Amino acid sequence: MSEANLNEPVDVLIIGAGASGAAVAWSLADTRMRIVCLEQGDWMKPSEYPTNGTDWEIQQHGPFNIDPNIRQRDTDYPINNDESPINVVNFNGVGGGTVLYAAHFPRLHPSDFKVKSLDGVADDWPISYDTLDPYFNQNDRMMGVSGLAGDPMYPPKQPPLPPIPMGLVGEKLASGYNKLGWHWWPSDSAIITRPYEGRDKCLNLGPCTSGCSQGAKSSTDITYWPQAIRAGVELRTRCRVREITLAENGMAEGVIYYDEHGNECHQKAEVVVMACNGVGTPRILLNSKSSKFPDGLANSSGLLGKNLMFHPVAFSQGVFEERLDSHKGPQGCCILSKEFYETDLSRGFVRGYNMQITRGTGPFNTAIQGYASGQIPWGPDHHKAFQRRFDHVASVAVLCEDLPELHNTVTLDPELVDSDGIPAAKINYTLSENSKKMLKHGVDRAEQVLAAAGAVEISSAELVQSAGWHLLGTARMGADPNTSVVNSWGRSHDVKNLFIVDGSIFVTAGGLNPTSTIQALALYIADTMKKNLANLFD
Amino acid sequence: MNKGNITTDYPLTNAQRNKLGCLLDVLIPASQDGHMPSAGDLDLIAYLQAKAMDFLPSLIALLDGLDEDFTTVNFDERYQAVKILSNDEPGLFQALIYQAYAVYYQSPAVLEGIGAAAGAPFPRGNTIESGDLSLLDAVLATPKQYRKAPS
Ligand SMILES: Cc1cc2nc3c(=O)[nH]c(=O)nc-3n(C[C@H](O)[C@H](O)[C@H](O)COP(=O)(O)OP(=O)(O)OC[C@H]3O[C@@H](n4cnc5c(N)ncnc54)[C@H](O)[C@@H]3O)c2cc1C
Ligand code: SF4
Repeated sequence: MSEANLNEPVDVLIIGAGASGAAVAWSLADTRMRIVCLEQGDWMKPSEYPTNGTDWEIQQHGPFNIDPNIRQRDTDYPINNDESPINVVNFNGVGGGTVLYAAHFPRLHPSDFKVKSLDGVADDWPISYDTLDPYFNQNDRMMGVSGLAGDPMYPPKQPPLPPIPMGLVGEKLASGYNKLGWHWWPSDSAIITRPYEGRDKCLNLGPCTSGCSQGAKSSTDITYWPQAIRAGVELRTRCRVREITLAENGMAEGVIYYDEHGNECHQKAEVVVMACNGVGTPRILLNSKSSKFPDGLANSSGLLGKNLMFHPVAFSQGVFEERLDSHKGPQGCCILSKEFYETDLSRGFVRGYNMQITRGTGPFNTAIQGYASGQIPWGPDHHKAFQRRFDHVASVAVLCEDLPELHNTVTLDPELVDSDGIPAAKINYTLSENSKKMLKHGVDRAEQVLAAAGAVEISSAELVQSAGWHLLGTARMGADPNTSVVNSWGRSHDVKNLFIVDGSIFVTAGGLNPTSTIQALALYIADTMKKNLANLFD
Repeated sequence: MNKGNITTDYPLTNAQRNKLGCLLDVLIPASQDGHMPSAGDLDLIAYLQAKAMDFLPSLIALLDGLDEDFTTVNFDERYQAVKILSNDEPGLFQALIYQAYAVYYQSPAVLEGIGAAAGAPFPRGNTIESGDLSLLDAVLATPKQYRKAPS
């Protein structure tokens, strides 16, 4: 494949090669337009993932840490979390967050798109579940998703592959849910349970959040990207975008980026697509200042970087007498419950949460986390306490819907910069009263189900700090340019050749993991672009 | 890297080495049934030399801070001395625990003792029970359904 002349304009320039960037690149490839993607990180090598070595758990604390401030690869950028009780976690490389994600892959519910109409809070999305339904299905096929049809909490859907084994952990918790008469279902997971599209099935190694050596976890570097590249898309790694430049006619002209040697480069494009996630996208747009947009590109609404939503997470762990083989099998994917997903005002809060059953950790992490929590002491009692917990735990992660609030923001840090001198992102976030009540309710219910399942000891954390996995809402979509940054198909209201396709454009967050919906949205936007190619900028 | 601080292949004096053995023995003693080794049976120094050289000078300082009779007093007294150390030097002690556990829970003998497979997880993999999906009958028997929304 020939390298693009850096000065030669391309048709479409995508920034970010993560979950959404990959999907949009693949979908647009069949237009035969000249498409280039700039990604600040590297291609990953599965042979370098931690599970290839005996020190796999130690590496999770270093080069494969989920927190970029701890990981500190030179492809990472720092994030100032000082004003937030939740830390942003991510991965910067081809595949983006999907390299380290747990691959729990539920879709938003139909109700999630219409919370204003249904519950009188936040805003409705300008699109519905039905709009995205074909793209959810297309994405499930492209990624390789496992699950079980028939969940009454969803409209009919058919995952292409059979579900992840529940294991003893799932069975135990399922019996607890059944005792209480609560909903549960095997999780949809972006992990293949049968050989699929040239990839081998999951080996139940466990620590999916440090990268999958087997290639069974569907990260976009091994799903969308190989196909997009075969179809002619050019992906340039180690290219970090600093800003988007504006032409005199008010359209995006291209970008300025630093290549791997730190050289400043200019890439012009007819269309610019942002796919840097809910923190990275507002960061670069806020850094793209001009006389026309002194507060950041595409920010005439003033909403860029505002309404940041995470999913606040609480965590309860139960210890069981029986051995549950907890450290085996995909750690984050097992079963889930939607019993408390929808609004019931008698609970004292609006909207709801999903309960995600997670498996246990490996030996070292069991010991070191037990030391930190005081549950596994050093000294003569160490072995007894260790053996009581190791392979004997099951956990419930309570993942709460976060409502959009203007004061939860991504801004540019006035001092902190990355290795290229680009201002870092600064997070200002406070937990709402609604979220606090929801977390409390969730912990109570998680403890109840663990007890019903037979746990002999239960401990809980009402807010997990390192759980800023889901980065949403900072460039929301909507019909009104005064109250949204992009329109119903991801096009900036202000700059007609600028699109955003990542989690920033979520209007509300739902109460579950967002990547399936992020990618369905990216495919929908790409498809809408293709249908409107003749009058894309009208 | 702390170039120049470590001048021989084995960086501890005999006295430091004895103290380290006793210290690790207190942190994770051998189990009474003999099933699990003591942390002192494993080669922490070799591990640090390979993986965490930066910690060696701190470890040496920590060992030098222990009384000379640390190796001769009985287990309970050693335990008390380590407790004091953990209070006086919390950061350093935490780092020691981290490294000691890292060596311990990678050891094939230890992994065998706790019923886990030794070595790298990949490509070995694990087998897990598929789980009884008939448990879902109870879910399907309830009239619960997803909430409808306007399109
Ligand atoms: C540990 C962990 C566990 C997770 N588990 C789950 C889960 O189980 N289920 C789920 O649904 N989601 C999960 N997530 C979240 C999931 O990874 C994200 O929702 C998803 O990857 C977001 O997609 P995106 O396209 O918005 O951005 P990303 O996938 O984050 O991709 C953004 C890309 O843009 C690049 N980029 C950013 N700035 C620049 C720049 N200036 N120049 C060039 N490139 C740039 C980045 O390097 C990155 O590769 C998890 C995330 C983590 C970190
Ligand atoms: S459990 Fe499966 S998906 Fe997860 S890392 Fe292991 S092989 Fe990959």
